Amino acid sequence: MIAGSRRRRVTVAAVRYALLIGCALVLALPFAFMVSTSLKPHTLLLEYPPRLIPSDPTLDNYAQAWGANSFGRYFLNSSMVAVATTVGTVLLASMMAYGFARFRFPGRGVLFAAVVVGLTIPTMLLIIPQFLLAKNLGLLNSLPGLVPFYVGTQIAFSTFLLRAFFEQIPAELDEAMLIDGAGPWRRYWDLAVPLSKPALATCAIFTFLGSWDEFVWALTVINDVSQRTLPIGIALFRGQHGTSWGLVFAASVIAVVPVVIVYVVFQRQLVAGLTNGALKS
Amino acid sequence: MTTTTPAIGSIVPGAAGAGRSTSGSPRRRAAWAGLAFIVPGFALYALVIAYPAVQALLISLRDYKITPGAISPWIGLDNYVRALHDPVLLRSFVNAAVYMVATVPTQIVIGLGLAVLLNTALPGRTLFRVLFYLPVVTSWVVVSLLFQYLFATDNGIVNYLLVDVLGVLNQPVDWLGQRWTAMVAISALGIWKGVGWSMLIFLAALTGVPRELEEAAALDGAGAWRRFRHVSLPHIRGAMTTVVILLVIGGFNVFTSVLLMTDGGPLDQTQVPLTYMYRQAFGYLDFGYGSAISFLLTGLVLVISGLQYWWARRATRDGAA
Amino acid sequence: MFLTRRTTLSALGACAVAALALSACSSGNAGSTQSALSTPGASISGTVTFWHAYSADSNEAKTLDTVLIPKFESEHPGVTVNAVAVPYDDLHQKLVTAVAGDTLPDLVRSDIMWVPELADLGVLVPLDQQMPDFTSYSNQVYPGALATNAWKGHYYGLPLDTNTRVMLYNSDALAKAGLTKPPATFADLRADAPALTAAGVSTFADNSTSGWNVLPWIWSAGGSVTDDKVTKATGYLNSPASVAGVQLLVDLYKEKAIPDTILGGTGGTATSDGLATGAYATILDGPWMYPIFASQYPNFQVKAAPVPAGDGGSISVVGGESVVLTQSSKNKDAATEFLRFLLSQDAQTEMAKVGQMSVLTSLGDQLTKINPYYSTFVDQLATARPRTPTPAWPKIDDILKAQIQKALQGDLTVQAALDEAAAQIDPLLAKYAG
Repeated sequence: MIAGSRRRRVTVAAVRYALLIGCALVLALPFAFMVSTSLKPHTLLLEYPPRLIPSDPTLDNYAQAWGANSFGRYFLNSSMVAVATTVGTVLLASMMAYGFARFRFPGRGVLFAAVVVGLTIPTMLLIIPQFLLAKNLGLLNSLPGLVPFYVGTQIAFSTFLLRAFFEQIPAELDEAMLIDGAGPWRRYWDLAVPLSKPALATCAIFTFLGSWDEFVWALTVINDVSQRTLPIGIALFRGQHGTSWGLVFAASVIAVVPVVIVYVVFQRQLVAGLTNGALKS
Repeated sequence: MTTTTPAIGSIVPGAAGAGRSTSGSPRRRAAWAGLAFIVPGFALYALVIAYPAVQALLISLRDYKITPGAISPWIGLDNYVRALHDPVLLRSFVNAAVYMVATVPTQIVIGLGLAVLLNTALPGRTLFRVLFYLPVVTSWVVVSLLFQYLFATDNGIVNYLLVDVLGVLNQPVDWLGQRWTAMVAISALGIWKGVGWSMLIFLAALTGVPRELEEAAALDGAGAWRRFRHVSLPHIRGAMTTVVILLVIGGFNVFTSVLLMTDGGPLDQTQVPLTYMYRQAFGYLDFGYGSAISFLLTGLVLVISGLQYWWARRATRDGAA
Repeated sequence: MFLTRRTTLSALGACAVAALALSACSSGNAGSTQSALSTPGASISGTVTFWHAYSADSNEAKTLDTVLIPKFESEHPGVTVNAVAVPYDDLHQKLVTAVAGDTLPDLVRSDIMWVPELADLGVLVPLDQQMPDFTSYSNQVYPGALATNAWKGHYYGLPLDTNTRVMLYNSDALAKAGLTKPPATFADLRADAPALTAAGVSTFADNSTSGWNVLPWIWSAGGSVTDDKVTKATGYLNSPASVAGVQLLVDLYKEKAIPDTILGGTGGTATSDGLATGAYATILDGPWMYPIFASQYPNFQVKAAPVPAGDGGSISVVGGESVVLTQSSKNKDAATEFLRFLLSQDAQTEMAKVGQMSVLTSLGDQLTKINPYYSTFVDQLATARPRTPTPAWPKIDDILKAQIQKALQGDLTVQAALDEAAAQIDPLLAKYAG
């Protein structure tokens, strides 16, 4: 009986791993291709058919990508903008979501609908009006000037996501704090925020990625070479007639590193949540 | 409009508490507190998104000239009328709908499946999570190029598998050269790039499922599927609704992959609303028409997500009652 | 602040005076009454911002930043040139937004086909009015490259670099069919095709049916897109000669001598790969392919020949970039001086060394000395024509592309397809004719 259940458990684990490894192979293969191309010298045309293991691997592309045109500067610029955007978005969006989820006030439905509308509007459409706005606000050609636009663009998504999580917080917990005389801010900061760490972490991960990868707006408003962000630096390796794919891919691999670090750091919250779950019952 | 939230006392405790109070002042105080939470974020949002969006709406009612100072004649709904008679636009909406139908359920099933598999103290968990997340962070340019290879006619891996290895087909398919086969390739890319995203949200939601409930169900002899169906699933219903709505919105807004893989070709067969809008606006400088296309898309997506939202809310309420 | 502005103003005043005073010395051009500011650093100052789309790792960008700009700045000590690279694929979008925001830079290196569009938006300075010595420059450049800078009676740009498509061929692939020389005429192509097809080689390959791709065939057949004044396509695009040019492609496609890639799908073997590997015997492409072949297919010896001749001769299509001066420039005189510098023999020679073909006809021989492979391109350029210079070109291009695809796929006869294309293009031209 005991031996049988152990065997079953082993089988379950084996199936689980087999599924995970299978999916991992399919999902990671294109990334592997990108890494492999970045290690090949002189790739003006992509190999056909692609070969995963380069015949004479070299780090030249990485050295050249990092050395070219203040790439390090772009990296730093992108980091500052992404961190500021992430902090701003998660703070403002969680407050907004909390307001929508836990309070009733006139106009709530209309305001929330306005936020949802923002999710559905293609940002490409807004470029010219936004550009004119940025010009009038004096935010053209400035790195800090990117942040309010990035926060504004991403806030709807996080608000929408977080609202669903805040609504799941059991009412009894809130009422217990109310009886203790806790004000709205304390109930938000000391109850809702800690309980929603997994969701906040998810928002942080997506927001960081969103602003780290953003290209069109940054390209449109930034003219100064010193104020540029990383995606522009990478796009500059693409030529009119020939693209140095090795360089583009090496630069793309470098660009992925901080995103993965942020992901690994924040996704721990998704594990920590496992133990916190007990609080809720 | 359709997204207006039905006020539900049981999940809006602030409101419920205020309602019980005899004096009107706590209710009003709660209303002010709610507004205070919303104002900072909403003000920024209104400035950088809502205000430009209103301007874009006005642009869609004009024969818009981009040069400052140029006169853009007011033409009322002409751009919208023109859009409704544009066969390419109609086709682009059908394509986006097909893409949406092909990608959203698949991403949800696979994403949820991966999240469930990873929602345990499994050794190597972090590594898998990173691997599954890699498609999300890999740039669109890179993955689109790669999918062009996979689906290439002459030396593509997909054709190689279908023709030479499995023998399902006699001759290679010109995947990207025809409408529906190209939509298959574009949808495959959408699913591949999207599953890590929905996995992440489901993971966050699953961590909120109380362990004790799962264990109690297990002691009662419930199998894995029943535990998932009756314990986990009800707990992540909110996240599920959110993911479905966001994916539907994202599906209709598909853009970069189509632009890079087929650019709407051949003969506008694989055009989706945003690639068509982009061509009208930035290719032909017809921003009035481009804006009208976008707002038609927004309207359609809003109606669909509004219906979903309403339906999900009603299901929750009925379930709760 | 005020001081700065006044200084600038007086500098501008001095400029004008200097321009008048120096009018006679530098240019011997009979027609012009005035001439360039030629005394180094005489009276221009300030910053000139120049947007271009040379890629970050390119030798062109390196030469511009480390050779040309320092040289110009040392000749004009008061002037700083701020060169800004913009990714090529996104330059048009950035220009459009900058037009809307009135934030264009002083100078832009623009695709030659964007000049009529920008000029029509009213954001460019007519150079023939701004530069008293304009003709001394326009006389020196290839007429095909100059033509797209004209819009409604004025020139809004000067070509900066040029290129054209010639026939690139793989002699090994031709040899498989027993052929020793590339097809020189339409008739050769038709005659060579069966043997090449039998040998498993595509006679010709291309990746689209846009103007850039099909116009060489239409022109070489003796056809055209519009009349000379660009007012009408009907009677030109659907003339028997134009039809004959497209018919050649359709016939070859039908007998499988041209692969499906010409339909513009992205799934097939790229023309460059196919040529180098011997799958395709000939393609039409530009000079930039030489370094690409040299690095990717070191064993492949690419050869060049003129575009096969039809009843109209061997006529190819002009590509390249122009440099334009914007109305929003705050420093037009210094910007104009940098524009002149970019068109100087020195600057053009420097850029030719790093792979950019000069627009100066006088440098033709020298180009061949720098890179022998330039010679076919230089010869072809003498007769090469520009695509139709009109702001409506992007739409016209899409119409051409679509209708010719329909002819290739057999949905329409070539005549019917071009009739339809001409009918769709006429109203577009009429819109800008008035």
